[in-house]
Amino acid sequence: MTTDKIEQLFGYVQERCLWQFFSRTWDRQENIDGVIKTATDMLTGKEFQLETPMERLFYADAKIMVADFKQRFPWIEELGPAQIRDLMHGLKDKLVEFTITKSLNHELNHSLY
Amino acid sequence: MPMVLLKCDKDIPEREKHIYLKVDGEDSRDFLPVSNAATLPGTLSERGCAFCGAKLVIGGVLKDTIQMIHGPIGCAYDTWHTKRYPTDNGHFNMKYVWSTDMKESHIVFGGEKRLEKSINEAFDEMPDVKRMFVYTTCPTALIGDDVKAVTKKVMSERPDVDIFTCECPGFAGVSQSKGHHVLNIGWINEKVGTVEPVITSKYTMNFIGDFNIQGDTQLLNQYWEKLGIQVIAHFTGNGTYDDLRSMHRAQLNVVNCARSSGYIANELKKQYGIPRLDIDSWGFNYMAEGIRKICAFFGIEEKGETLIAEEYAKWKPQLDWYKERVKGAKMAIWTGGPRLWHWTKSVEDDLGVQVVAMSSKFGHQEDFEKVIARGNQGTYYIDDGNELEFFEIIELVKPDIIFTGPRVGELVKKLHIPYVNGHGYHNGPYMGFEGFVNLARDMYNAMYNPLLRLAATDIRGNLNTRFLEAAE
Repeated sequence: MTTDKIEQLFGYVQERCLWQFFSRTWDRQENIDGVIKTATDMLTGKEFQLETPMERLFYADAKIMVADFKQRFPWIEELGPAQIRDLMHGLKDKLVEFTITKSLNHELNHSLY
Repeated sequence: MPMVLLKCDKDIPEREKHIYLKVDGEDSRDFLPVSNAATLPGTLSERGCAFCGAKLVIGGVLKDTIQMIHGPIGCAYDTWHTKRYPTDNGHFNMKYVWSTDMKESHIVFGGEKRLEKSINEAFDEMPDVKRMFVYTTCPTALIGDDVKAVTKKVMSERPDVDIFTCECPGFAGVSQSKGHHVLNIGWINEKVGTVEPVITSKYTMNFIGDFNIQGDTQLLNQYWEKLGIQVIAHFTGNGTYDDLRSMHRAQLNVVNCARSSGYIANELKKQYGIPRLDIDSWGFNYMAEGIRKICAFFGIEEKGETLIAEEYAKWKPQLDWYKERVKGAKMAIWTGGPRLWHWTKSVEDDLGVQVVAMSSKFGHQEDFEKVIARGNQGTYYIDDGNELEFFEIIELVKPDIIFTGPRVGELVKKLHIPYVNGHGYHNGPYMGFEGFVNLARDMYNAMYNPLLRLAATDIRGNLNTRFLEAAE
């Protein structure tokens, strides 16, 4: 059941979100960490920081993603905080696998842009 | 077996690594086309050169800058007027072309004196213009002209001018992509941070990777003005040289074309801590999403929603009129790289059009990751496609309409397949809400144009047969 839910969210992110496909490994990791954390905080009602430019960036991306999650996958609003955290953790792992660890993109680890 | 060896490629089987067919049960962890690699001997590439990527795509867009091309006249002429990026100052960039017009004697004896003379002549002829890009080309790079020494000398003698040197001869890379890279990195390292902008708003951003094709920049700028966002620099649509020197003062970098301009956005983040936000500017759904993200960053969400509602009320009925008439069509996109992933879902979501084949001239693997994630199963994804491959792919997928550039467009027109200029547009702009209606209208006009059917009919009848007999 959780796997199926992760697949649904993953399908959405792959299709809609450009932040997962930035140029280098460290950019992708930073974006995935930042957006997923902010989205998890939003979905669990936890307060989040909007002080630094990068926090505001992650908020901008996460806000649209969370709104789409709620619209496309209404079951997400029925989940408790612990279930949300598990779900988003699973989503994050899958994104890291597809876009970083098992990506066939040969340019991901160049030291320069 | 998702990597595809087309029949026409039987003598260059390496091409199999460049053509991908998306099928169920496999993904980009298993297969990713080779791209940004040297064109194979034996394949007739549609690519441009590295110099072209720097001059034609990025530098030549600027509205206040002389573009001095240090090389034979052809390098200048062939990168002039082949793209349509107007400006709000009378299209200075499209009216004029500058070249050092290198001849054999300059190649033999060196071209530095000729370059210096040409730079001074250009500034003397246009005394109001104080900014210049100088580009090396294949011959002047090969003979080793020290272009930077020349531009430095001229700047020391003319303190009111500023010159940027772009050393990216045509052979510097495998495609125009190398030119994008060299210009991006050269500019951030040499020019950004050398001018301080006048800040007029609480909200400032750079808009990166939009070249005002038929007015894209000017259309989008209406949105930013309504939202009260100051665009410090447009990289480079309708942009100025000094605006681009001020990029370090923006709060946010908004990136449309990540392929041509992602480098400078990455460096602005690394060197100045300015976040990079990638958006899609083509399509209703995507444009609204981009506006929402920008407004969320600045905390002006209500303004964004008002703007989106106004634009939807104005343009959505027109889009829907065209959607009713083009939905269900099969589309091929054969352009540079990013438009594949920008367009494949937007035409599907907003117009009900299915993209069945996509070819990229200069995309990197990053672009293929994006487009394969967004594109359909059963769709072909091609790197550096050649003409024979296009013939074969057309037979395989039978597209109803093809968006591509004028070069491949000639082939498409001769096959009597509806064609729209996917590079310079037919009747743009295509970005934004109004722009996507323009795209839909051009798609409709191409598909419903009776001339295509008439052109495919040989009205000579029996006369045609007699000529054939005579020839035999």
